[in-house]
Amino acid sequence: MYEAPVQRLIDELARLPGIGQKSAQRLAFHILHIEAEDANRLAGAIVAMREQVRLCRRCFNVTDSEECTICRDLRRDSSEVCVVERAQDIVVVERTQEFRGRYHVLGGSISPIEGIGPDQLRMRELVVRVDDEKIVEVIVATNPTVEGDTTALYLARLLKPLGVKVTRLASGLPVGGDLDYADEITLGRALAGRREL
Amino acid sequence: MNLVWLALRDYRSYASLDFHPDPGVNVLLGENGSGKTSILEAIGYLATLSSFRRSPDAALVRLGADAAITRGEFSSGPSGAVIEVETPATGRRRVLVNGKGGRSRADVAGVVALVAFLPDDLDLVKRGPAYRRDYIDDVAAQAWPAAATEQTEYDRVLRQRNALLRRDGRSADGATLDVLDERMSELGGVLLARRLAICSLLGPAVSELYADLGEEAEAVDWYYLAAGIGPVEGQPGAAELAGGLRDGLSGARRADLERRTSTVGPHRDDLVISIGGRDARSRASQGEQRSISLGMRLAAFHVLTERRGSAPVLLLDDVFSELDASRGRRLVARLPRGQVFVTSARAEEVPLVGKRWRVVTGEVTAE
Ligand SMILES: [Zn+2]
Repeated sequence: MYEAPVQRLIDELARLPGIGQKSAQRLAFHILHIEAEDANRLAGAIVAMREQVRLCRRCFNVTDSEECTICRDLRRDSSEVCVVERAQDIVVVERTQEFRGRYHVLGGSISPIEGIGPDQLRMRELVVRVDDEKIVEVIVATNPTVEGDTTALYLARLLKPLGVKVTRLASGLPVGGDLDYADEITLGRALAGRREL
Repeated sequence: MNLVWLALRDYRSYASLDFHPDPGVNVLLGENGSGKTSILEAIGYLATLSSFRRSPDAALVRLGADAAITRGEFSSGPSGAVIEVETPATGRRRVLVNGKGGRSRADVAGVVALVAFLPDDLDLVKRGPAYRRDYIDDVAAQAWPAAATEQTEYDRVLRQRNALLRRDGRSADGATLDVLDERMSELGGVLLARRLAICSLLGPAVSELYADLGEEAEAVDWYYLAAGIGPVEGQPGAAELAGGLRDGLSGARRADLERRTSTVGPHRDDLVISIGGRDARSRASQGEQRSISLGMRLAAFHVLTERRGSAPVLLLDDVFSELDASRGRRLVARLPRGQVFVTSARAEEVPLVGKRWRVVTGEVTAE
């Protein structure tokens, strides 16, 4: 519909989550009118992030070195691990100021509808960590959805035979949404009131 | 409970409609195909987020339009709620309750109660178990809005289990299936407990109203039949029911792997209705079946009036043409006072006094 270079950008933007055709058009035309320098900085930031950021070899959080800042922080309690679906959930849990252990990013939750089973998630890596790092408690903070609950139960059955305590956030989080639908206080309470699975 | 106003944009044949009904009885008169049922459907859509004609969302969008907008305000005593639904021809619909994003049936069930009598209500008695399950679940969701969420969650875990079975069949991962079975038992137990609770309220009401409606002396009775488990008596708690489901699912595991679907669970259950000891589905006359279905709708209306403290909005879509005059009058006599919407092609067949509206393709005018 538009000149090829404009249309190409619209198409790329529209592939981003939460961006529809109309928003993509609005963004593209905004970018068309900003200073060339600003456009370069935006493009540069995208490229740099992709080049410099990788996954923490221990917990699979995003980082710019071998291990993420949380895993490198010696003040954190290495006997507790909080399991989340996505790296961005770590920020949500961190905001509560209630958790001082480390994390493990699964990469999603069990959902046969989307073709995701335990093998598509970083479960084996977690089992290895439980053994290597002398982990005492695994707190499952997957989303309060049917898939998140199913994954929590799967993890409990997988890890309990290893002698580790497996807990789940207390109920009270908005059902069916992502972890970040909950405010800090609610999530903090859910962490404090976690129960054994 | 009553509808204060209804506004439609690009809904079915309505490019635009602003309708301010009477808080009492509203009789919508119009030829077949004039769009009078669409108005009732739109009111029902706001209350249940689905079409009582069982139409897919896309069918609600006026031909050539991008999206249908359905908006309405319901009031119940001092409290009220504006519900707005944007239904695109393709893609996900958006629901706002009082300007805030709602996401599920529970969000609207919390603020609106509605019962619809439909021309094909005979299906409730005559057709497959799905019709009766939908009936029970609909009443339960309005009686306890949390039940709507529980239904959605059960549905979701069922779809996950079926997806796994369909894709992998006999080679499906046992440990994954185990946890899905566990979740399905728990959520199913909760769903079952709700169904049994609402059935225990509806059952006596159906028998009584049926006796009231017809001349037939035979008693109407029903019981809940859990697939793979058997008839459920009394009212076991959710935990006990979950236990039964756990056993049912493990017993059906081999068959499920074989058939690549879930053969046991509340999604396969039925409400078995009998009249004078005969099976109502296969061995009752059409007249008996019609009276039973009327009794079921009336019972829903009574139970919800009781539970919510005010009469739900009542929709009567072309119901009187199917009833003889005396039954029609008896039905009307048993309706608690509240707001009513009636459609009919012929004014004289409606045994209700109220405000009359004339519906001509895409327009509604007061008579
Ligand atoms: Zn890390």
